[in-house]
Amino acid sequence: MQSFLPQLSRRQLLHQSAAVPGMLGAATFLSQQSLAESANSLAPTGCHFAPRAKRVIHLFMNGGPFQADLFDPKPALHKYAGQKPEGADLATERPTGGLLPSPYKFRKCGESGVPVSDLLPNLANHIDDICVLRSLHADNPNHGPALLQMNNGTILPTRPSMGAWFLYGLGTENEDLPGYVVLCPGKPVRFSILWNSAFLPSSCQGTYINHSSVDPQKMIPHLRNKKWDQATQQRQLDLLRKLDAEAQQRNGEDEAFEARIRSMETAFRMQFRASDAFDLEQETKQTRESYGKGHFANGCLLARRLVERGVRFVQVYYGNGQPWDTHSNHDKSVPNLCRTIDQPIASLMSDLKQRGLLEDTLIIWGGEFGRTPTSENGNGRDHNHHGFTMWLAGGGVRGGMTWGETDEFGFKAAVNRMHVHDLHATVLHLLGLDHERLTYHQAGRDFRLTDVHGNVVREILA
Amino acid sequence: MKTLLRISCCLLIIAGSGLSARADETPSDSSPQEIEFFEKKVRPVLVARCYSCHSAKAKTVQGGLRVDSRKALLSGGDSGAAIVPKKPDASLLISAIQYDPNADFQMPPKGKLPSKEIAVLTEWIRRGAAFPGNADPAPREDRPIDFANARRFWSFVPAEKKSLPKIKAAEWPQQRIDHFILAAMESKKLSPSSEADRATLLRRLTFDLTGLPPTPEEVAAFVGDESPQAYENVVERLLESQHFGERWARVWLDLARYTDRTANWLYSTGQAHLYRDWVVQAMNKDMPYDQFVHRQLATDFMAKTGPEDIPALGFLGLSPNYWKELQLPSEIIKVIVADEWEERIDAVSRTFLGLTVACARCHDHKFDAITMHDYYALAGVFASCRIKERPTIDDALYEPVRSAKTKIEELQTKITALKKKKPQPEDEIDKLTAEIAALKKDTPHFTAPLAPAVIEEALYVHRKGKTPQSGSKLVYEPKPQDLHLFIRGNPNRLGEVVPRRFLTVLSKSDEPSQFKTGSGRLELARAITTDSASLAARVFVNRIWLAHFGRGLVTTPSNFGQSGERPSHPALLDDLASRFIDGGWSMKQLHREIVLSATYRQSTDIDGKRSEVDPDNVWLSRMPRTRLGVEAWRDAMLSVSGELDRKLGGASLSLTNNANKRRTLYGTIHRREMSTMLLTHDFPDPTAHSPKRVATTTTLQGLYALNGPMMLSRSEALAKRLLAEKLPTDQERVSFAYKLLFAREPSSRETQLAIDFVGQTTGEARTNAWTQYAHVLLASNEFLFVN
Repeated sequence: MQSFLPQLSRRQLLHQSAAVPGMLGAATFLSQQSLAESANSLAPTGCHFAPRAKRVIHLFMNGGPFQADLFDPKPALHKYAGQKPEGADLATERPTGGLLPSPYKFRKCGESGVPVSDLLPNLANHIDDICVLRSLHADNPNHGPALLQMNNGTILPTRPSMGAWFLYGLGTENEDLPGYVVLCPGKPVRFSILWNSAFLPSSCQGTYINHSSVDPQKMIPHLRNKKWDQATQQRQLDLLRKLDAEAQQRNGEDEAFEARIRSMETAFRMQFRASDAFDLEQETKQTRESYGKGHFANGCLLARRLVERGVRFVQVYYGNGQPWDTHSNHDKSVPNLCRTIDQPIASLMSDLKQRGLLEDTLIIWGGEFGRTPTSENGNGRDHNHHGFTMWLAGGGVRGGMTWGETDEFGFKAAVNRMHVHDLHATVLHLLGLDHERLTYHQAGRDFRLTDVHGNVVREILA
Repeated sequence: MKTLLRISCCLLIIAGSGLSARADETPSDSSPQEIEFFEKKVRPVLVARCYSCHSAKAKTVQGGLRVDSRKALLSGGDSGAAIVPKKPDASLLISAIQYDPNADFQMPPKGKLPSKEIAVLTEWIRRGAAFPGNADPAPREDRPIDFANARRFWSFVPAEKKSLPKIKAAEWPQQRIDHFILAAMESKKLSPSSEADRATLLRRLTFDLTGLPPTPEEVAAFVGDESPQAYENVVERLLESQHFGERWARVWLDLARYTDRTANWLYSTGQAHLYRDWVVQAMNKDMPYDQFVHRQLATDFMAKTGPEDIPALGFLGLSPNYWKELQLPSEIIKVIVADEWEERIDAVSRTFLGLTVACARCHDHKFDAITMHDYYALAGVFASCRIKERPTIDDALYEPVRSAKTKIEELQTKITALKKKKPQPEDEIDKLTAEIAALKKDTPHFTAPLAPAVIEEALYVHRKGKTPQSGSKLVYEPKPQDLHLFIRGNPNRLGEVVPRRFLTVLSKSDEPSQFKTGSGRLELARAITTDSASLAARVFVNRIWLAHFGRGLVTTPSNFGQSGERPSHPALLDDLASRFIDGGWSMKQLHREIVLSATYRQSTDIDGKRSEVDPDNVWLSRMPRTRLGVEAWRDAMLSVSGELDRKLGGASLSLTNNANKRRTLYGTIHRREMSTMLLTHDFPDPTAHSPKRVATTTTLQGLYALNGPMMLSRSEALAKRLLAEKLPTDQERVSFAYKLLFAREPSSRETQLAIDFVGQTTGEARTNAWTQYAHVLLASNEFLFVN
C-alpha cells in the first residue's frame, strides 16, 4: 500500500515555519495553501487519533426504505391497523391515513438474537457483525434536502459532502485511483451536488461512475484513448517528458511543473490500473455468482475491488432516481427490492471478512430517511424523517446489537435518538477524525461536517 | 425539533498566527491542542462561573482576583497566586472550587460546581494552564460595540492617496505602484527581476487581458516595433478588444455564483446568459464600478436606466433557491426561507464589501463590529424582493405581450380540455391553435427576452390552516417588510423589529438612516459606494490585483474583517483604492496602471536567493508564473488549432458538445449537473460566492489531458493546420507550431525531438504522427503555464 503522506518539499517546509492561520486540526502540519499546491493536491490533515476504519462503503438505499419491514419490528401496527392513534399523526411530505402493518415476519438471528426480517435471509447470517441503529432522525421529509443532509449534514447544496471531508482529512491511499468514488446505475435525485466538495479543494469531490454498464471504459470518463494505442501513448508521454524537461531548463525548477508531470504519469498508469480495478471480468465465476446479478450486486463487488485498492470512500447508490420511494404498492415493491440487496450485501460482508478487510472497512447502510408506518392512499408509505433505521458494520463497530428505539409504531425516534449529525460524528470518529477539529476556514468562520452539532455515539464502538 | 433550533453558529477560531502570544500570557509551549482545550472546555466554565465577579467586566472585582488572563491568575488576588501551573494540588483555585473544608474559601459562593467542570479546571492546570493571550483575531468582547473605535479598523478608514515612499533604484518605477512595491522589496533586501522579453510579455499580456493567446503575427509585430510607445500601444489595443470583457466577466461571475440553469421548480425562460452578457458589456464599455454595483442591485430604481439594463439584476435573480415543501409546518419553511436570505447576505456582503455579514445571523459577529441588528436590517432588503424574470423592454411595450401570454395560456387550457373529448373536435382545436399562432405573430415584441431579475415583493410564510400539520403557504405582498430580529437565528423566535438600513460600522452615524425607497436596494447599493466607498474600492482593487498577479495584496479577498489577512502593501492598496474612486471608478484605468507597471513587466525567472528570502513571492521581486484557468486553456487550444468561434454573447452551449467551438465562457453552467470538464479543472462550485480559485493538480486532470475527446479533436485540427501551412520543411513546421503555441522559436533540440517523433512518412501515417505530436504540445506544461 502506498503511503499517502506527502513528501514535504522545501517550499512546504517554509510554509510550515510561518504559521498559517485557519487550521484547527491538531495533527495539521500542512497549510491549506500547501494542500492545494502539493504534488498530489491531497495532502491530508491526518488523523486526530488512531482510526478504527480506514475506508468506508456506503450502501445508499435512495428513496428511503421502511424501517419496520426490515430491522425494527412493530407488532403494534397490527393491533392498531387502520387507526390513527395519538403519535401516529406526525406531518411528513404528504397526508397519510391510518397505520398500515408490515406483513413481513422477523426472526431472531445470530448469537446476538437481533431480529431481522425474513426479507433478508442472507444478510441475517451476518447480524452478529451488524450494529442496527434504530433511532436515526433527520430534519426534512423531502428527498432533495434529505439526500443533501445525509451527505453533507445540512439541507443546503453549498456544503462539502462527507466524502469530501474524508479526503480532506485523510487523503487517498492509492494515487492511481480517485479517493472518493460514487457508483450509481443512473443518477440519484439532485445528482452531483450530493458529492461535491463545495469550498474544499475540488480534488476532494466524489468521482461519479455510472456502472449501468460494467465495461470499465464506459464507466470512467476519459479512461481510454479512443485513438491511440498504449505504445503510441507511451511514445507521446516520453516526448512530453522531454519537452517538459526543456521547458524546466528554460524556466527554472518549479514545483507546479513537476506536480503536473507526475499527474500525467499517474494518469497514464491509471488507465491500466483503473481498468483493472473496475473490471469485474477479473473475478471468478464463483465470486460473480455469490454476489448475484443486477446493478446493485455489481456495485457491491466494485466497491470491494475499490476499497481493496485503497479507495477511501465508495458510495453505492441503489439505483437511478429513487427506487425505494414506495408511495404506492409498497408491499409489492419491497420484496423485489430486498431480493436485489440481500445476497449482494451478504456476499460483500463475507468477502471483506475473508480478506481481512472488514475489520477496518466501515459499511454504512440506509436511505436518506425511512417511511411512514401510516398508509398513503391505502397501499403506499410516505417519507419519514422522524425516525428510521440505518446500520453500520465492520470498522470498529460493535456487531450484534441494536441502538436506540422508535416509538411503538416506528414513526419517531424515541430512545437514544441519533440525528444524522451524530451519525457523521461517529463515522468521522471511527476514521480517526474528531468532528469538532476537522474544520475548514472559509467566509470568516470555521466550517465542519457537523456544523455545531453532533455527538459520537460511543456505546456502539467495539 | 432540531431544525427549528438550527443555529448556524460561527465556530471559535484560533488562528495559527495568534499562537505566538506574549510569553507572560501563554507558555511558549502551548500547542494548538492545549489552546483548543482551553477554549472549548475551560474558558466557557470560567466565563459562566467566575467572570461575573472575577474579570475586567465585573462591576467590582471580588477579592482582587481576576481569572480572565494567565497573568492575572498567576499574580492572583488578595490571597496570592490563584494557580500554580502543572500543580493543581498547590493551586488555590482548585482547593476553592473543591469546596475543601480546610481552605479559606469555597467558590463559587452559589454552590459547588458540577464534578465534570472541576475535573476540567484541574486537568487544565495539570496540563500547564495554557491561556492564549492577545490571540489575533481577538474575539470581540461581549459588550456594546464602540462603533467610533471600530471605524478605525484598517479597511474601514478612508483610503487616501499616499506620498511615494523613498526608494533607492529610482530609475526602475514606471507607475506609482512600482514605488510602493520597490520600497517594500528594498526593505527586505530584494531587488526587482529584469523585464521579461517582449514575446513573453505579449503572451502574458494577451492572456491576461483577453484570455486568449497572441497570434504569431501579433508577436512578430510587437517584437519588431521600435516605437518607444510599443508596449503602451499593445496595452491599449488589448484593453479595447471585445474579448477583454469576456475574460474579466468570468472573474466577476465566480463571485456572483453565475449559473445558466436555475432550480427547476422556478419558472424560467432560461435566459440567464443575458446577465452574463451584460457583465461582458459592462467590462468592455468600462462602466464605472460604482454604477456597475448599483445596477446589479437596483438598476430598476435608477433614473438614468433603460430596460436593457434589467439583466444586471441577475446577480440577485440567479441566487440559489431552496425547495420549500409546503406540506411542512410553516416553522420549517421559515427556516428554509431564512437560509435563502442568509445566502443573499453572504453573497452581497462578501462580493461588494469583503465582509462576512452572514456570521451575524445568530449572534453578533464574533470578530467584526457587525451586530445581529445589522444583519436583520440588511436581511429585510432581501426579504422584500422576489426572484422573477423581467422583460428587457419598457413595461408599457411589454404589457400587450403579458396579456397575450395570459390569453395563450387560457387557449392552451381549452385545447387540452378539447383534446380529451371523444371524438376530438378538430375544427375547434385548429381554430384555437391558429388563434395562438396569430397572437404570437401579431403581438409586437412577443419574443422580447425575459431576464433573470428580482421584483419588489416581500415574502411571508403562513400556516395553511390552523395547526402546524396543515402545512404552509407563501404569501407575497408588494409592500416591503422590516424583519424582526430572529433570536439565535431562529425565525420562530422573534425579537424586536429592525428597520432596513445599512451596516452601522460602515455608516457615519451610529444610527444609520432607514431605507425609504421600496425594498431599499438602491439605497443599499449607493451606501456601498458612498458610505463605504473606501472599503468597496479596496476590495475591488484587490480582486483585480489578485487576478493579475495570482495573489492578492490581501490574501483573503472576500474577508477584509478582523479575521481576514492584513494587506502586504497597505499604502499601495490605499493609494490604488483612493485614486480608483477619484478617477471615477474606471476599471480599465486600474488594469492599465497595473499592466503598465514595471512590477508587472518583470520576468518570472526563479532564482535561489529570491525564493530563499521570499518563497511565496509576497514582495513581488519577480512576476509569479501563473497557470491558465480552465477557460483560457480550452480557449487557447481552440485558438491555436484555428477553430475558435469568436462570436460574442448569446445562449450557453454544452461543453460536452464537441461541435462547441465557442469560448468556454459560453459553456453551460448548471448547478445540479456541473460539467465534468469544468469540475475536474478547478472551476468553482456555482452554488456559492467563490472568492478565489484554488488550483489543484490531479490524476483526473491528467486523464483528461491524455484522453479527453476535446484534446483529441484539437490535436487533429492543430495537425491539420500545421500540415496545411505551405512550408518547405518540417523543421519550419515545428517552428510555426512553437510560434503559435508558445510565442517563441523552438531550440534546436526541441526541433530535433519533434522531427524524430514525426519521422518521415506520408499519407495517413503522416497525419497521425503530426496529430500525436500536436497532442503532446497541447498537453505540455509550457502551453498551460504563463511566464
